[in-house]
Amino acid sequence: MSGLEIMEIGAGATVQDRGRAGWQRYGVTAGGAVDMVALAEGQAILGNGRDDAALELAVMGGRFRATGPLLVAGSGADMPLKVNGAAQTWRAGVALEAGDELTLGPARGGVYGYLHVAGGIRSPVVLGARSTHLRAGLGLVPEAGVTLEAGRSGGTPGQGLPAPDYFSRRSLRAMWGPQSAVFPEEVRAGFAAATFRVTSQRDRQGVRLEPDCGPLESAEGLTIVSDAVVLGDVQVTGDGQPAVLLADRQPTGGYPRIATVIGADIHVLAQMPAGTRFRLEMVSRDAAVAALGRLRAEIAALPGRVAPLRRDPHDMDDLLAHTLIGGVVRGDEDDGD
Amino acid sequence: MTDPVRREFGPPVLHDAGEAGLLVAFGTVYDPAINRAVMAFDAALRAEMPAGVIETVPTIASVLIRYDPLELEPGRLRATVEERLAARDWYDAPPPPGRRLWRVPAVYGGAAGPDLAEAADLAGLSEEQLVEDHAGARLSVLMLGFAPGCAYLGGLGAAWDMPRRTGIAPEVPAGSVLVAIRQTVLPSTPMPTGWRRIATSPFRSFDPGSERPFLLAPGDEIRFEPVSEAEAARFDPAAARGEVLE
Repeated sequence: MSGLEIMEIGAGATVQDRGRAGWQRYGVTAGGAVDMVALAEGQAILGNGRDDAALELAVMGGRFRATGPLLVAGSGADMPLKVNGAAQTWRAGVALEAGDELTLGPARGGVYGYLHVAGGIRSPVVLGARSTHLRAGLGLVPEAGVTLEAGRSGGTPGQGLPAPDYFSRRSLRAMWGPQSAVFPEEVRAGFAAATFRVTSQRDRQGVRLEPDCGPLESAEGLTIVSDAVVLGDVQVTGDGQPAVLLADRQPTGGYPRIATVIGADIHVLAQMPAGTRFRLEMVSRDAAVAALGRLRAEIAALPGRVAPLRRDPHDMDDLLAHTLIGGVVRGDEDDGD
Repeated sequence: MTDPVRREFGPPVLHDAGEAGLLVAFGTVYDPAINRAVMAFDAALRAEMPAGVIETVPTIASVLIRYDPLELEPGRLRATVEERLAARDWYDAPPPPGRRLWRVPAVYGGAAGPDLAEAADLAGLSEEQLVEDHAGARLSVLMLGFAPGCAYLGGLGAAWDMPRRTGIAPEVPAGSVLVAIRQTVLPSTPMPTGWRRIATSPFRSFDPGSERPFLLAPGDEIRFEPVSEAEAARFDPAAARGEVLE
């Protein structure tokens, strides 16, 4: 079977699918792609299944060689994609022949880029998923010398999706967390009104934030008896600094969670480069569920939106720029109900 | 300050944990009765899992229910949980069936337990007394957390109520036996810790390649058995089975 041999790859690269649910009681969180929308886009472009895996790259790209005929596609944060030195379109199917060299440059305007192969990456399934969990030692570690075997050898190139608009959103929705009552009223009010800056302390485990309201202090001290955490929890450590927990979060935590970024918005946060400033809008559970329903409907509609590319790759930079500007307006209208 | 007694013991409180999680808090502290309530309620939920629930996660004082809110309406889940909570006094529930007792060998002190002397000092016991007390206790798995298969064990006496260290050891090996706050932590992977390492065990509760990747389950019991380095080297973690408790 054809595959992609890794020649060079950036730190923090992993294989990701939708993750492994059901093991948190044993100390293993679900993991999975930090940007599930990007994962679904690549699956739609290549006609892959919902459980197929892709390569997730954290900012840095890599260099790969095809071991046979292969159809690939990029998604997520835009990474300059070249085959034998020729620029290719991001978010579209690209055909490779044995020996072709594919390079990916660093991500622009986002953090996580995804490289998909037709049929998905056939790495070993561990605890029900292919997702790599680096700290826990689960799944394939994609490093130089490793070949990512593809589930299928070929396919039709030139089908793609337009760029999504979520990379420019600067307003995210959150619900108050299980321990928000630990924080005094004025701290909660400050939190809800704050502008947050994404710091460079971030990985698949979580993202440290710097709020402009100062440290989030609680009257009862900043430790609680350890309990289970969920995706998107905003955990406040002893120094009063918040961090949003992502796919590879620890399964349990002993710090209070003041809020939870909703499931429909967590991928947006994960894709924000360090230095990005954003606001949190506190919403009701009903609004969060409704937003999740809309996001799932959008994801389900992706295969139907895949269409032959109408633009020459040279125009793509312009096209992206236009879409990103449009997205600023779009980001604020989807407020939930 | 809230009245600590009322907050520590029931009635259980429900909190949303995002739109896809419901946290059932039986208390806000570590207490054997609270943990027993957690285990019993978790076992009852799993015996009759409402459709749309993805998994339940029992921890020291609460059960997290992860569910799909588009399949199971959050208000309906809450009503179901409230109904089941009202069905009995969970703080008085018997331990769930199918629990196992594990005999876990451990090399105490020396290079395997570099903090034994410090822990004994804090407990006001000699090193020998401390080992005897630790290995003599029947400990229970309060939860698995922090990392795959990493067990938090309760059941130690008041002498063990020692604080965590202020500094963090960047890495202790898998099998380290760590103590603080009347608990023992037994990790199955290397990890950073602020707890004191009094022993090292060849037992591993997590083996991703095994047909049974996790040996320990929440609610299981553990008895540590002091062994020599040579005995520990002969121990085969893959052969460990435990003994089912009725």
